[in-house]
Amino acid sequence: MAEEVKESLVETTDKVSRWLTENGFSHEFLGLDHQNVPILKVDREYLIPFATALYAYGFNYLMCQCGYDSGAGAELVSTYHLAKLTDNPDAKPEEVRVKVFLPRNDPRVPSVFWIWKSVDWQERETFDMYGIVYEGHPNLKRILMPEDWVGYPMRKDYITPDFYELQDAY
Amino acid sequence: MVMKAEDISLDFSIEDQKQRLMNPIEETRVTQDLSNNVVLTTLNDLYNWARMSSLWPLLYGSSCCFIEFAAMLGSRFDFDRFGLLPRSSPRQADLIITAGTVNMKLAPVLVRLYEQMAEPKYVIAMGACTITGGMFSTDSYTTVRGVDKLIPVDVYLPGCPPRPEAIFDAIIKLRKKIDADGYIEKAHIKQTHRFYSIKHEMKVVEPFLTGQYLELPTRMAPPKSLIESGIPLPALEIAKKQEVEING
Repeated sequence: MAEEVKESLVETTDKVSRWLTENGFSHEFLGLDHQNVPILKVDREYLIPFATALYAYGFNYLMCQCGYDSGAGAELVSTYHLAKLTDNPDAKPEEVRVKVFLPRNDPRVPSVFWIWKSVDWQERETFDMYGIVYEGHPNLKRILMPEDWVGYPMRKDYITPDFYELQDAY
Repeated sequence: MVMKAEDISLDFSIEDQKQRLMNPIEETRVTQDLSNNVVLTTLNDLYNWARMSSLWPLLYGSSCCFIEFAAMLGSRFDFDRFGLLPRSSPRQADLIITAGTVNMKLAPVLVRLYEQMAEPKYVIAMGACTITGGMFSTDSYTTVRGVDKLIPVDVYLPGCPPRPEAIFDAIIKLRKKIDADGYIEKAHIKQTHRFYSIKHEMKVVEPFLTGQYLELPTRMAPPKSLIESGIPLPALEIAKKQEVEING
């Protein structure tokens, strides 16, 4: 077991990562997660060609799109978890995770809506919670919070407004 | 108790069996007895009795509390025996059982529903979420910390979620409260103002969810800059393929 862990730590590249590098899609390999899913970091300028290449490689299913805040004052991250679904139900689908790191003062990223349409509401939710602006999204509006809400509540530096209803219970 | 074979006796006589099987066919004497008697009561008691015996709750609720509340509507826990008929319109309801977490988006809706109900109206705050915010009370940016900040509450019903039996208990407590209600006492009772009475100074925003979601022109075709970039987008490729299929 320990040897396996060592191996995965030593590993600096992956099949998908190698294929992308061979075809000239520059990215940074961030390692494997606990389920051996490769994590790739890409600049926002190259996200659309990069994602199109992954689609062409066979990642036809966007399992999850979400965002997270890497810390107060640090970067916001938009992540895409992709899987390769085939007609063979026994084969474990190949997976990959793409991360785009965005500066907090200018969190713009192109929308992948025209590649995986299922990203529609997920990008809206990430916009609602983190204020990441998905350029080219057909209908980027708040989905969970009220229309007139100020601020993005899941950011680490968010301060809850002093509403009577939100103050401590009796 | 264990049934023993020798303890069981059978009635062999036809008459006995008839007596056992047939319903008593005599008329009940209740109505006659009552109409020949004098009942002394006050109008206040009669009024309270009528009110507490036909509490019509509003069909309102969300989350796991409403699952328990919905169990009450069924035949197993049989809600109707207390005279509770769920109403879908707040105009016809006397009681609102606030089942489920209330957040800032739902708060104006709940207040409006309460205001639309006809007097006299009662509120049961059901579950931890509507009493204090429950498990969301420490670090939530949107959960209302107790529904009593929005509307006056008569009975607090704790639990997460409370069982249907607990809802009965709350209803019985509310019935007792209504029963004890009187015009003379009312003059002495001063309600402490626990619910919200100051208006928010918020900007009204036009609703942007228009229902035209699927027909939006931005959904029909990708933006120009994306088409001109020459990237073979799957959406465009699929459209091209379909065109070829239709034309060819």
